[in-house]
Amino acid sequence: MNIRVWEGFGEVLWEVAMALFPMLLFFLFFHFFFLKLPGKKLKDIFVGMVLTFLGLALFLQGVHIGFMPAGEAMGEILVAKSARWIAIPIGFVLGFLAIFAEPAVRVLNHEVEKVSGGYIPAKVLLYTLSVGVAISVALAMVRILWDISLWYLIVPGYAIAFIIAFRSKKDFVSIAFDAGGAATGPMTVTFILSIAIGFASGMEGRDPLMDGFGMIALVALTPILTVLTLGLLYGRKEKAKDEQTAQSA
Amino acid sequence: MEQVKEKILEVLSAVLPITLVVILLQFTIIWLPMEVFIQFLIGAVMVTTGLILFLIGVEVGLLPVGEMIGSTLPKTKKLWMLVLFGFIFGFVVTVAEPDVRVLALQVDQVSNGAVPKNILIYSVALGVGLFVALAMLRIIFNISITLLLFISYALVFLLALFTPGEFAPISFDSGGVTTGPITVPFIVALGVGVASVMRGKSSSGDGFGLVALASIGPILAVMLMGVLYG
Repeated sequence: MNIRVWEGFGEVLWEVAMALFPMLLFFLFFHFFFLKLPGKKLKDIFVGMVLTFLGLALFLQGVHIGFMPAGEAMGEILVAKSARWIAIPIGFVLGFLAIFAEPAVRVLNHEVEKVSGGYIPAKVLLYTLSVGVAISVALAMVRILWDISLWYLIVPGYAIAFIIAFRSKKDFVSIAFDAGGAATGPMTVTFILSIAIGFASGMEGRDPLMDGFGMIALVALTPILTVLTLGLLYGRKEKAKDEQTAQSA
Repeated sequence: MEQVKEKILEVLSAVLPITLVVILLQFTIIWLPMEVFIQFLIGAVMVTTGLILFLIGVEVGLLPVGEMIGSTLPKTKKLWMLVLFGFIFGFVVTVAEPDVRVLALQVDQVSNGAVPKNILIYSVALGVGLFVALAMLRIIFNISITLLLFISYALVFLLALFTPGEFAPISFDSGGVTTGPITVPFIVALGVGVASVMRGKSSSGDGFGLVALASIGPILAVMLMGVLYG
């Protein structure tokens, strides 16, 4: 057996140093010209930088030697099966799990509950969002299987989003569009996307660059549509209720 | 200590469920070569440990500075400074974003180096920087977020007509990955800081919408890159 865990780690360390250097420079600039932080704060920053550096390096190495090759191999194995469609339910399950446990979603739930005045229950949002992302990942697989252009999904998606957005409260629009990022957790780009890339490159007549990518775009669109639609539905309920109380009064 | 526990739980709940499903699939329908499977498991441990360290580092050392910068910047009361530093802030943070790096690596590999990793990362960072600067202007001049988003996306779809086809999926994916574990807390801190100093406490809601705007920048930037390349 030939296990290679630290292959290319030197390059990764160099890359991470280059990634964090501009931020360090920016902080130091602010420190000397504006903030003039006390020594203890500087020490915290230094410790934080070291942890961030080690963390980022380990993370990237793990993705590099583990998630990416395994994801791509999974995609290729799925293509070789006679029942290729099995990639669709697998995508659905992985998509669901990628968001159901995602901490960023809990923050989003909280914000939406606040802005909607409690009209959108957190549970409803969590489940619609999870099913929504699950469908998006499954759709990404469908796209590869039947060679459907990304535009056929993205253009109507954003068109619907803006039709609803122009009828929604301003705060709601901000939160909905901000939420696009909440759905793309750490597993989506590192692992699930790799499966799609492997799946697309294993299939004849597909360009993995065109067909493999695009999944993140769909996943990011889902919360926008979900939050806006729920806002519209629950907003109507809220209005109806207000009118009722007004009439009975 | 409480924070550390929270971060550990946070990362485990993101990584563990999918890892378990892969283990289940491995012994039912997938049957990856054993080496690849074991590397996947080691990778999962490394990703988990790495993310935990990373998030703790960001919270302990980096985010407090981000917040301080966010509240110091607007006190200078100079428009050009807010816009310029907003741009640099967005750029610097994106360069350090893990998700952006992973996507760039994937694109580099799949395109056989035709779209180099660093060029993609810096394009995305430029896009985020520009749109964070734009978001500063929005907060100061109180421009409607819906309108601004609409115009930006209209621009995206217009530009798409001139972009080579293979850049479209990558550009939209770039928009999605910019909103990762480091960019989001940093630019929210900046937005909330600027909004509360410039327009009073009541309008702190203006900090919202910043992330949405920041994720459009990379779409446009990568499409432009595609136009230049194609």
